[in-house]
Amino acid sequence: MILSPSLLADAQTAPWWSHIERGVFTLPRCEACGLWHFHPQPRCPHCGRAEIAWRPASGWGQVHSFTIVHRAPSPAFSADVPYVIAIVATDEGPHLMSRLVGVAPGAVSIGLPVQARVDRLSQEGPMLVLFEPRAAE
Amino acid sequence: MNSASIALNDCSSARPSHARIVGVGESALGKVPDLSPLQLQQVAAQAALDDAGLDWSDIDGLLTTPIRAAQWAMPCGVVAEGLGIRSPRYLATLDVAGASGTAMIHQAAMAIEAGQCDTVLCVAGQNLLTYSARADAVRQMAEGGWAHPQFEAPFGPLIASLYALVAQRHMHEYGTTAEQLAEVAVTMRAHAALNPLAQKRTPITVSDVLGSRMITSPLHVLDCALVSDGAAAIVVTRADRARDTRNRSVRLLGQGYGFSHAYIGHYESLTRTGAVDSGRTAFSMAGLRPSEIDIAQLYDCFTITVIVELEDLGFCGKGEGGAFVQGGRIGLAGKLPVTTHGGLLSACHPGLAGGMFHVIEAVRQLRGQCGGRQVPDAQIALVHGNGGVIGIHCTLIMAAE
Repeated sequence: MILSPSLLADAQTAPWWSHIERGVFTLPRCEACGLWHFHPQPRCPHCGRAEIAWRPASGWGQVHSFTIVHRAPSPAFSADVPYVIAIVATDEGPHLMSRLVGVAPGAVSIGLPVQARVDRLSQEGPMLVLFEPRAAE
Repeated sequence: MNSASIALNDCSSARPSHARIVGVGESALGKVPDLSPLQLQQVAAQAALDDAGLDWSDIDGLLTTPIRAAQWAMPCGVVAEGLGIRSPRYLATLDVAGASGTAMIHQAAMAIEAGQCDTVLCVAGQNLLTYSARADAVRQMAEGGWAHPQFEAPFGPLIASLYALVAQRHMHEYGTTAEQLAEVAVTMRAHAALNPLAQKRTPITVSDVLGSRMITSPLHVLDCALVSDGAAAIVVTRADRARDTRNRSVRLLGQGYGFSHAYIGHYESLTRTGAVDSGRTAFSMAGLRPSEIDIAQLYDCFTITVIVELEDLGFCGKGEGGAFVQGGRIGLAGKLPVTTHGGLLSACHPGLAGGMFHVIEAVRQLRGQCGGRQVPDAQIALVHGNGGVIGIHCTLIMAAE
């Protein structure tokens, strides 16, 4: 049984989870300076103002770093090993941690162009923002 | 003109510290199934008092850390009561994660210099290994909030994975190799082999590290710290009281703190840490340069941690840490002996107390008490604590009186 991390949501993070439940990947953006950030914070880390709004993200980014996990931290992840955890540098600017899917672990490299996919890691798992290699244009 | 430059000097150099480290000690380390967390701390504290030639009645200040192996809502209160420190004039629970071991010493010195108390017992430790089978310890740590509970933990990172992300990026940016990471583990084990208290003392080779189980690429199991039982204690007192203690006392020449992020996922630099700031502050206060350091007790939760610290503290250029650790340069006979007791990788890692052993080793090296692993003529030591996922740092520079 995987508990949904949305159960931990508070007023600051609830919009993230409600958007994801509808399949939409959003990021916090400062209405004052126009810059994006993540995780959601009460004050913009760039300009210090508190005029933060959630805006749809392009979903595009690049792998900034990654690790192939061979030993699951808990039974909830045992069936997944080996799996790829990545830090993705989004085109909007913020970096975020995610799971890379739809790619063999050995084929992942830093700089790989990726796109977001709002989906579950398992049938009973929570909706999450995952990333997969960007489709060829 | 002259007075202006004198004033400038006064600002940039530290006021002389009025506190001294006078006693260090530890419990048995490794697997110690027959002692509770408080018993381990009691044994360590008694050893530190004996080392100083002081008595329990001399202690009027207490600093400790949170532990995981017991449900302590108020660790400093539980420890004060358990160790019989009845009327402390100062007590606190300090938690700057892995930087707690170094920060405790500075905070003890501040309490003394503020006149709040005379003699502070810094003590921490637990039976982390015995408390839970290793698998449980790993799971507890994974769920301990090091990964953001909502934005990182759902993807299944180990704590080691969070450091692996740093290592992978360092390899990409600077060409650091798995062999260079392994060299750190090999050196720590060589040092531990000369430390009778160390948990792992059988020498290993680079091939052993590379052949050990891959946990979270590029980190193998031998790139990762131990899980241990054990406690550490350090007594800090007023300089005038330090004159008649049993062993040579050690004074702080400078210290600094650095912070960059609470969670690694959104930290864009990944390979540059707050050690840049903590080191710069500590060196400036001490009026010293990295080349003047005789030994560096660097926090070694993972092999990559040591490489990044060497760079950010200024012992080599950015990106040169991988090459720096090769060729015996961080060994006992090297240019910069590093973490000479064997560190978290091979000596002992019982949670937040882990960084205290680096301080204890520095004190013993400066006193010339390290036997087979003594670095000849070690006069100035740097001790560095790293907490979170390279997020929070505290550097100390110290010398024997």
